[in-house]
Amino acid sequence: MFSYIKKSKEMGILLILIVISVIISLFNSSFLTIGNLLDVVKSNIVLGMMAMGMLLVLLTGGIDVSVASIVAAVTVIIGRFMVDVSSNIFLIFLVGCLSGSLMGMINGLLIAKLKIPPIVATLGTMSVIFGLMLYLTNGTWITGIPQNFIDFGQITVGTFSIPGSEKTMGIPIQFFFFVFAALLTWFMLKYTVIGRGIYAIGGNKESAERIGMNADKINIFIYTYEGFLIGLAAVVHTSIMRQVDPNAFIGFELQVIAAVVLGGASVLGGYGTVFGTILGVSLFCVINNGLILMHIPVYWQKIVVGIVLISSISFDVIQKRMKEKKNVRVDIDEEASVSSRRSGAAGKADTAKLEQKA
Amino acid sequence: MAQKMLLKMQNVSKTFPGVKALKDINIEIEYGEIHALIGENGAGKSTLIKILSGVYQPDEGAEIYIEGTLQDTITPLDSLKNGIAVIYQDFSLFPNLSVAENIAMALRVEKTSPMVSWKETNRVAKQALGKLGLKIPLSTTLAELSVAKQQLVAIARALVNDAKLIVMDEPTSSLSRSEVESLFSIIRNLKNQGISILFISHKLDELFAISDRFSILRDGKYIGTFSEDELDDDRLISLMVGRKIEYTVFKKRKIDDIIFEAKHLSKEGNFKDISFSLSRGEIVGLTGLVGAGRSELAQAIFGLDPFDSGELFLNGKQIQIDSPEHAVQNGISYIPENRLTEGLILKKPMDENICITILPKISDKRGLIIQEKKNQLVDTWINKMQIRPKIPQMIASKLSGGNQQRVVLSKWLATDPKILIVDEPTNGIDIGAKADIHKLLRNLAENGMGIIVISSELPEVLAIADRVLVMRRGRIAASFHGEDLTQEDIMNQAL
Amino acid sequence: MKKSKKSETGFGSKISIFSKINRLFHKLPLEKKEFVLLEIFIGIFLLMSIISPGRFLSWYNLQSMAYQFPEFGMLALAMMVVIITGGINLSITYNATLASIIGAVVLVKMNEMGAAPLLTVIIGVAVIILTSMACGALNGFIVAGIGITPMLATLGTMTLFEGISLNITKGGAISGFPLMFQWFGNSSVLGIPVPMLLFIIVIAATYFILQRSRFGAAVYMIGCNPRATRFSGINVRKTLFLLYIYSGLLTGIAGLVMASRYNSAKESYGYSYLLQSVAAAVLGGTEISGGFGKVFGTVVSVLILQVISSGLNIFGVNRFITDVVMGGILIIVLTINFVNNKREEKALITKKIVTA
Repeated sequence: MFSYIKKSKEMGILLILIVISVIISLFNSSFLTIGNLLDVVKSNIVLGMMAMGMLLVLLTGGIDVSVASIVAAVTVIIGRFMVDVSSNIFLIFLVGCLSGSLMGMINGLLIAKLKIPPIVATLGTMSVIFGLMLYLTNGTWITGIPQNFIDFGQITVGTFSIPGSEKTMGIPIQFFFFVFAALLTWFMLKYTVIGRGIYAIGGNKESAERIGMNADKINIFIYTYEGFLIGLAAVVHTSIMRQVDPNAFIGFELQVIAAVVLGGASVLGGYGTVFGTILGVSLFCVINNGLILMHIPVYWQKIVVGIVLISSISFDVIQKRMKEKKNVRVDIDEEASVSSRRSGAAGKADTAKLEQKA
Repeated sequence: MAQKMLLKMQNVSKTFPGVKALKDINIEIEYGEIHALIGENGAGKSTLIKILSGVYQPDEGAEIYIEGTLQDTITPLDSLKNGIAVIYQDFSLFPNLSVAENIAMALRVEKTSPMVSWKETNRVAKQALGKLGLKIPLSTTLAELSVAKQQLVAIARALVNDAKLIVMDEPTSSLSRSEVESLFSIIRNLKNQGISILFISHKLDELFAISDRFSILRDGKYIGTFSEDELDDDRLISLMVGRKIEYTVFKKRKIDDIIFEAKHLSKEGNFKDISFSLSRGEIVGLTGLVGAGRSELAQAIFGLDPFDSGELFLNGKQIQIDSPEHAVQNGISYIPENRLTEGLILKKPMDENICITILPKISDKRGLIIQEKKNQLVDTWINKMQIRPKIPQMIASKLSGGNQQRVVLSKWLATDPKILIVDEPTNGIDIGAKADIHKLLRNLAENGMGIIVISSELPEVLAIADRVLVMRRGRIAASFHGEDLTQEDIMNQAL
Repeated sequence: MKKSKKSETGFGSKISIFSKINRLFHKLPLEKKEFVLLEIFIGIFLLMSIISPGRFLSWYNLQSMAYQFPEFGMLALAMMVVIITGGINLSITYNATLASIIGAVVLVKMNEMGAAPLLTVIIGVAVIILTSMACGALNGFIVAGIGITPMLATLGTMTLFEGISLNITKGGAISGFPLMFQWFGNSSVLGIPVPMLLFIIVIAATYFILQRSRFGAAVYMIGCNPRATRFSGINVRKTLFLLYIYSGLLTGIAGLVMASRYNSAKESYGYSYLLQSVAAAVLGGTEISGGFGKVFGTVVSVLILQVISSGLNIFGVNRFITDVVMGGILIIVLTINFVNNKREEKALITKKIVTA
């Protein structure tokens, strides 16, 4: 059991998460209250959902820097849609998911069909999408969100009484969308051929193609699926914020990547899990929340996140190198006595053929 | 007749733009047969495998029968379905996935269901490993296994598809002796189960030890298929190369002018207590089985992977080598075995490749490269080594194997080394070029360079070395000197 | 050099002066790709001038461009040198602003204490440069020393630098520099804006370091194959470490110019240049997988992007549409490259068949 903990990356991250949580709650008793935890969860649902999509991309060894622009664009699209066209919640979700998927698919096509390196392709789409969106909105907020959508966003499930106050709180409905995204991604990765194919391509693309996998198809799928989750996240985000700020997500892509990497995913592909990503996102938001609760100036957050990011990856790399060093490459004869063995002409012709190359 | 044969290839040819890679190949493989496919580098072995596995399509007119049925076209998936499994040299496995998944992955792709059943995966994997009589925990991540075990996983994967024919491309190239033995017993076991093996190897002793029949290719042409008792070493080699290999055997010299000495070098898991010396103008052959620690020793001396304990002496003075930089400064050069990944920078032109080791020599005090000096040096080496074509801007990847080797040699000779370590200098180049390289090494030695030649090819070692060191399991097992040294003498120490 | 089809620019073939210029450029020692870039630049420049000679070609506009693009150019070069090694440096903009913020603190403190302006500026500039190099050294240590993938390493340091900057500025901007400090961003020498002058020096230095020195030769080789480079007796780690310091230094100079131009220091200055600098490097022919890329190409790409954004700005095109155009250009150029490569491959095959 202990060796499993030592071996598994996730357990390491969980351990760090627990240690940090304990430290924070020692300093501030309000950290481990239901109210605070629900707040933390609510404010990081979007990050969590987008991290699921980014996980898939990193698993294949790709990267997507356009996620922030896509989520922002979708919030604008559904914002306009619900204000100008229809406030039907089902239609809002449909529009959000479709537009997100479409933008994701464009990334997928550029990467799979035109063989543009992922970082460059998504850089291009990011620039185009952000530019178009800001041009069309002129950066102004969309307000006047229909009341039924606002009501939808305030649905909670269950009630928790908050000690020392009259108020009660419930689990916000948005949380279930995150659970849905995580479960769906987990299921897809674990129980579908395409999900295992994602790991296979990240592990060894050439081998995957040799056994008949279509890497291009899988790539297009991944970016489309990522776009779908982002679209969903955009609707969820709007239901929390009750307005649309086109500038809200600038720089968000790096937070998403950082959270997934903190969760143990490798940018070189092949390694990373949904559970790890959840832990990474949690670690990311617990650190942020803890710093706030500990009254450490908000500016320290970035420093702490930066240091945690660098040191956790360093630890990984150094550990790997130590392991490699210990690799036995030659089966050493420990008590060799030089040229005492088989000095006779044993074996003869047979052995002489050994290693002979033509 | 056709029923008896598992695989029958008739008139299989393959033309690439400008090259006829295969010409009228006719090979038949019986059920439960271990069939060796032999040929020099470039003889067309890998092209043939790729046709079998459906990666390439043969030219018009080829007929391939599998179990008596003529195949129209073969795609990679068809090939798998027909029971042909190819195990490439790199195994084509997934390092990040579990043993069970690696074994069952191909089966999943084949099935049309979009879902994965883990129960089925484990069952299939267990069954396949069982057929081989192996016990490897199913959940282990592949990257944690040794190379030999990974290979067994690759074989197990082949069995999953009910393989009737398993093609093994150089399966023993990175295995130790004992691992080869256990691989062979598994191969024989498969044979008893009625599975045929197409075995591709350079190592003649292994081929003789395991194969029932031998098919020989030369320059893309089919030479013939022979049974074991029709062949011996010499016959086989002459069929392969079309002539008997005769290296010019240089006269052995006894030189006692020690320039370099290693004392008690040890590195855990690599080699132990290595002591030897090298004289000015001497060629020392360093041989032994693959996995005996030869390259590891050389790379440690060159500072790539420094040794744990021991001392090095140059001209009687102790030297410290912690990095290749130090080694070069001390006049030690190492030419790695793998030209493509370690010797050359393939995407860059010839001139930059030649100059990379001597950048300080061709630049001024400010560190800027002096173009005239560079061009002059490059021209000198192109002429001296007779590199063709004589275009310094030629990208290294576009040169032929022999010329690539010459570029690598130039690159290192340009540093004017006192000690040159060459790892398998003639690996993968044609006979004519080999003789040139032998002559060159001899010339260099006669001009005072101390040379260590690491080679698995005993005739080569016997031809050019003044003295032979044999390594066995991380130690120097013997040191030979003399005219009448035979391959048998060396092998007795290497095993 | 090679005769490229000049009609490809479409627009050039109709103007006789252009074809003359074209012929002239063919005589320059440029590679085909670089030549195409130069043609695109001239084409766009002429196009802008023809559409709006009064405003685009005005002295005022040219001057203002000359003040604007050097900081972008320096950041793009800082990015390019790292991409050549097969890495990426996401920390460039925060590296620049952190250096300028720490320098700004020194400038403001000394200014308040009433130190001589010249001394203040000299020390302030020295602090900016040294800080930027120290940040670069940190990147170099993490990438070359520990061995972390550059993207993650610089993602971490980027967050770190931003955090330190924010901690110093508390989210605001630092200002109150001696007047003399404005020289770096707003003055000119013999009619040449100082930022431009600094950029020219940076271009020359980068050109010599990268393309003419033995250090640069090693850098390109590392980008192609670090293993073979190490086997060739080159200290790969040291080379990488020094290169990241150089990348940091370039961001420091860019930070200096920005702080001087805005007369203040803030962590978010120049943030939009981060991804644009990747775009400029890639447009200029730098290969994202490493080993290839030249100063000339990157500089011309910076000019192209600058001319487009200034031009569109002058025509009253919304600045966000400029972003769309930039992204579009990036994708289109890479698509053209892809199609060309395919075509070349095909041509090669048919040629082989013919010779056979």
